[in-house]
Amino acid sequence: MKALPPTLRRKKRYILATIDPPWIDLDPRELYYVLVEAVTSLYGDISAAAINLVVISTGANYVIVRYTRGYDVAVRVALSTVLALGEQRIALHAKVTSGTLHALRQKLPSKPDMEPDPPMMEFKGRTYCARRYHGQKVDLLEKGIKSQELLYITQDDLEES
Amino acid sequence: MTVTDTCLHPYPEGNSSTRRMALGAAALGFDSIVVPDAQYREYYGVRIIPAILIAEPNPRVVSGLVRTNREERALVLVNAGENGFNRAILNLKGIHILRHIHKTRKNSFDHVSARLAAERGIAVDIDLYPVIHSTGLSRQRVLRRYHDLITLFERYRFPLTMSSNAYSILDLRSVEEICLLSELFNMEEEDVHAALGTVGSLMNTEGPVTVIS
Repeated sequence: MKALPPTLRRKKRYILATIDPPWIDLDPRELYYVLVEAVTSLYGDISAAAINLVVISTGANYVIVRYTRGYDVAVRVALSTVLALGEQRIALHAKVTSGTLHALRQKLPSKPDMEPDPPMMEFKGRTYCARRYHGQKVDLLEKGIKSQELLYITQDDLEES
Repeated sequence: MTVTDTCLHPYPEGNSSTRRMALGAAALGFDSIVVPDAQYREYYGVRIIPAILIAEPNPRVVSGLVRTNREERALVLVNAGENGFNRAILNLKGIHILRHIHKTRKNSFDHVSARLAAERGIAVDIDLYPVIHSTGLSRQRVLRRYHDLITLFERYRFPLTMSSNAYSILDLRSVEEICLLSELFNMEEEDVHAALGTVGSLMNTEGPVTVIS
C-alpha cells in the first residue's frame, strides 16, 4: 500500500511525562488504557477519538504519548487526572511537548539512583522496606502481604524519628 | 508574590510527611503550603503556614473557636454550609477562607455572600481534589458549582484561593497543571495566579489606619 502524502497525514504531537513514584512496575498496555479512560472521562468518546492518544514508550520514571496536534491542553489536563495504575497510586506530570520524538528523547529524565535490594528499617514502631532516591526522598513500604502502608518521607524525617 | 497551596494534609492524616510535601511542592513551583495544626517552619525553601480548620454547623461555635485561636496567628479556614450560615460566617472577624463550597447546595453562596466576601476580604477556596479524584456525575456537579462561583467572582472580585487538598505527594499538582485544570471551569490563567498568591496577602493584612499626631 502506498503511504499517504505528508499533506494528507494527521499531524501529531508528543508529550513526555514523568511518573511518580519512580520505582513502580509499569505495564505500557495498562497505562494506555488508564490514559484513554482519563481522556474519555473528561472529554467524551468523540473528543477521545479525535485526540487519538497512543503510548509510544515508557521508562523507569517516564512515559511518552502521541496525540493529534491541537489537543495539547486536553491531553495535559487528562494526564493530571490519572490517579492509579491497577492497585498502585501514581501521578503523571507533563514536562515537555514536542512535534518530534527525537527532541523529546534528548530530554528524558535521568533514572533515579536506587539500591537494587532496598533495606528494611523501623519507623514509628513498624517495619518498612525503604527506597531512597534523589538525595532526600525515602519511600517506605510496610513489610507484609495485605494492605501494606506506603509512606513518603525524607532522610531528615528518618534522622529525626 | 507568594505561590501557595491552601490546604495539605500530611502524615498522620495523609501518607506523606510535611517535609516530603514541602519537597514535592517546591519541585512543582510553590513557595509556601498551608498545613492544618502545624507550626511556622521552612523546609527546602517552602514556608509552612499553620491553619485552623473549622467544620462546625453553628456560627456561634465557629465564632468561639476563632476567638480562642486568635493568638496563634494561624490561617482560619471554615467549611461552608447553608446560605444563612455562610452569610453569618462572612460577617465574623478573624476568618480568612471559606472552603468546601462544592459540597454545599447550589444557592448557598449567592450574590449577597459574594458581595460580603469581597467587602470583608474573605477568600473562597477552590478545592481541586474533587476535580481530579471524582468522575462522572459528581465531577460534573463540582465543575458546575465552580463555574457558578467564577461567574460571581467575575462580577464581585472577592479573593479566591486554590488548594489541592492533598493527602499524599501524589495528589500535588504543579502551578501549570492547576492553571490547566482551572480552564475546565472557565477560570482565567491570571486569576489562577492571583488566587495562588492570595494567602500571602491574607497573612499580611494591614490594620486600620491610626492617626499618631
